[in-house]
Amino acid sequence: MNARLESLIAAAKQAWAAERSSGKVRLTVVLDTSSVARGAEETIAAMRDAIEKQHLNAEVAIAGSWGFCWMEPCVAVRNASGTETVLYANITAERVEEFLQAVVTEGRHVPEWALGVAEGNPTADVPLLADHPFMKGQIRRLMANIGTTDPENIDHYLAHDGYVGFGKALEMDAETIVKEVVDSGLGGRAGGGFPAGRKWDFLRTATTSPRYLVCNADEGDPGAWVNRVLMEGDPHLIIEGMLIAALAGHADAGYVYIRYEYPLSFRRMQIAVQQAYAKGLLGNDILGSGKSFDIVVFRGAGSYVCGEETGLINSIDGHRGMPRIKPPFPAQAGLWNKPTNVNNVESYANAPLILRNGAEWWSSVSTAKEKGTKMFSFSGDVNWQGCVEIPFGPTVRSALEQYAGGMTDGRPCKGFQPGGPLSGVVNGDELDLTLTLDPYRERGLFLGGGGIVFFDDTTCIVDFCNYFLAFCEMESCGRCTTCHGGTQRAVEIIRRIQSGGGRQHDFEAFEQLVKTLVWSNCFHGQFAMTSIKTALKAFREEWIEHIDDKQCRAGVCEGLIEYRVTSQSDAALAEAVAICPTNAIQGESGNYQVADSLCIRCGACVEVAPGAMERRHRFPIEVSQGAAAAAGV
Amino acid sequence: MAAEPTTAELRALIAEFEPGKGHLVPALHKVQETYGYIMREAIEAVAEQLNTTPALVYGCVSFYDDFRTHPAAKTEISWCSGPACRLKGGDQIRSAMQQTLEVALGGQTEDHGVGFHLGQCIGTCSEAPQVWVNGKVVGDLTVAKAIRLARDLKGSK
Ligand SMILES: Cc1cc2nc3c(=O)[nH]c(=O)nc-3n(C[C@H](O)[C@H](O)[C@H](O)COP(=O)(O)O)c2cc1C
Ligand code: FES
Repeated sequence: MNARLESLIAAAKQAWAAERSSGKVRLTVVLDTSSVARGAEETIAAMRDAIEKQHLNAEVAIAGSWGFCWMEPCVAVRNASGTETVLYANITAERVEEFLQAVVTEGRHVPEWALGVAEGNPTADVPLLADHPFMKGQIRRLMANIGTTDPENIDHYLAHDGYVGFGKALEMDAETIVKEVVDSGLGGRAGGGFPAGRKWDFLRTATTSPRYLVCNADEGDPGAWVNRVLMEGDPHLIIEGMLIAALAGHADAGYVYIRYEYPLSFRRMQIAVQQAYAKGLLGNDILGSGKSFDIVVFRGAGSYVCGEETGLINSIDGHRGMPRIKPPFPAQAGLWNKPTNVNNVESYANAPLILRNGAEWWSSVSTAKEKGTKMFSFSGDVNWQGCVEIPFGPTVRSALEQYAGGMTDGRPCKGFQPGGPLSGVVNGDELDLTLTLDPYRERGLFLGGGGIVFFDDTTCIVDFCNYFLAFCEMESCGRCTTCHGGTQRAVEIIRRIQSGGGRQHDFEAFEQLVKTLVWSNCFHGQFAMTSIKTALKAFREEWIEHIDDKQCRAGVCEGLIEYRVTSQSDAALAEAVAICPTNAIQGESGNYQVADSLCIRCGACVEVAPGAMERRHRFPIEVSQGAAAAAGV
Repeated sequence: MAAEPTTAELRALIAEFEPGKGHLVPALHKVQETYGYIMREAIEAVAEQLNTTPALVYGCVSFYDDFRTHPAAKTEISWCSGPACRLKGGDQIRSAMQQTLEVALGGQTEDHGVGFHLGQCIGTCSEAPQVWVNGKVVGDLTVAKAIRLARDLKGSK
């Protein structure tokens, strides 16, 4: 291997070993967007403060997320002798004093806060982390370092065989690298599944230069944060992947396009790129190899369609981020109309593993068709909102139970969204679908970038479709009338149904929109109606109830419910009156009424005064059936 | 946040950016980071610097959700519109907060004290339903909690 790389790795390993034999208790706190939301910065400050004031034999380090996002801040405690590391959850600032007293001063475990032993032997009171239900069955390759290494320190990456895959690629010709990636069976991780190796071959065989790589870190699908976990946890994995792709495709420069909403990912990728330049892993004549490659970390500005590869390219080029008309494809005319390869973060991140360990090893997990591992994030009405890395193939039911901890309060799973606002909705009676691409494609749905959202029976499907369509409308780039006009029309119809004005004809209108939106230029418009289309099929009765019977079984749709005072004597009624943001509860003591025209159906009154207020169906079913019967006479 | 810049200051701020190199969005970010928003003069200065037209620059500014053409409010609330937050009553929280603050989505209170925006999911779905107050997650909201938060923010000058 490249001698300079070898010495970089040797030095990094030494530095890592030195850090680990500091003789101090090492407290590695997860510091990422999820843990910051749950107070990790305050935890770190409290720890540093206590260590200084009490002269504790301990030090604080940071790491990316283990995936236990709902239990952050997580802290891995490595004992002073280095024989054991235990992972703890929910270590908020208020707990720090008690926690440090135990794990540092007294050198004992705190079993009630422990998730498991990450390194070392299980003990009577703390089991192995690998045996935690959330960890069992996970195969952590991409996430192997995440939680243990500092994402802002390139040496930590180098000490864990970082850049070894790139080192191997340096000794191979472009065709051989492409072949290795083709052989691995790596499919695009944004959801399309297009073979990454074949895409790289387009770039390799392009006839013009310069050539570009784009790493798509726009992660625009709400409910997906797997790319963020990678960028905030192990950014060099992505840089190394891009370096390998650059060698395979003779690329000159690469862009990492990160959505505006991810400032920490942006900062971590920037730090990583700077450190890679400083070590000679980027720039001119990389490690004396004669190869050159530059990376620019580019910050988006808030636009979903900029995740579409040609919208993204336009955005970098300095135009409005409107998806282009294809062909030409990016491989022919991408950035500045030069050959360009666009892959998702997770797609690039797999390349170092393939090169390091070989295609055969890499493809040994998952199914006959899908290879390697996939990261998923689970959210919605579930107990655990976390991020995992698993093989393709388990059923959605098993993933729900094992990795999302089941539905909240044991409620039934009404359905799920398999991957973003364009992916459709699936009925909960199809939980036996596997996490592979085909079953969704066959049903006109798709498994997207990894964000799966489960919903329970308190969800109104019409309202949920309102969410998806309003999203599509707002994010339409405006090029196609079918898309910007069509989504607008769909939203109008849904809102009318929700306000009690549904008509029989609406089904036809939806069908018409389904048929015309497919003519849109890009996938955004083409798939904007997927949620309605699939929901009309999977939850037909509920639409009929809304349209014909003016019933919203979940009690969500504004025009189909109403609020009312049920007890004039309940002590909490005054609170309901006070909390109402529109002063809709009017009258005087003993005679309060809800002024229906002012009520916005927010439900704050029932929340503060459940004994005095109620939400009820506006058109009780008996009445409308009676009315129907009367009309029939 | 700095006061209104002069044209010379704007030119100096964006002097590093060049035409044809993908510098439009970075230049706009730099203006917004420095002054809190993108003013008319900046649109003209950026156009001149990048050898393009103000129409094109403005077209780009207006395309993205996160570029502002007016100063930020003292407290900026981003309301998470994402699916996990929606399933837990996010839309009721939105309408109650808007009513309390008397603002449109994307607008500001009359005294410029509070701005209210639509935000996209950042994957902190475990805290649903949530808003971000000046970038900090305020999660596990209920409608009543959200109304109280809005009232507090509206009352604080
Ligand atoms: C509206 C829209 C939004 C998209 N958003 C993303 C995104 O945020 N991240 C992403 O990697 N791909 C996104 N894609 C897919 C990209 O166009 C492209 O297919 C992908 O980056 C290819 O990467 P892969 O082959 O490695 O999967 C989006 C597509 C559409 C139509
Ligand atoms: S839906 Fe609100 S943070 Fe994900």
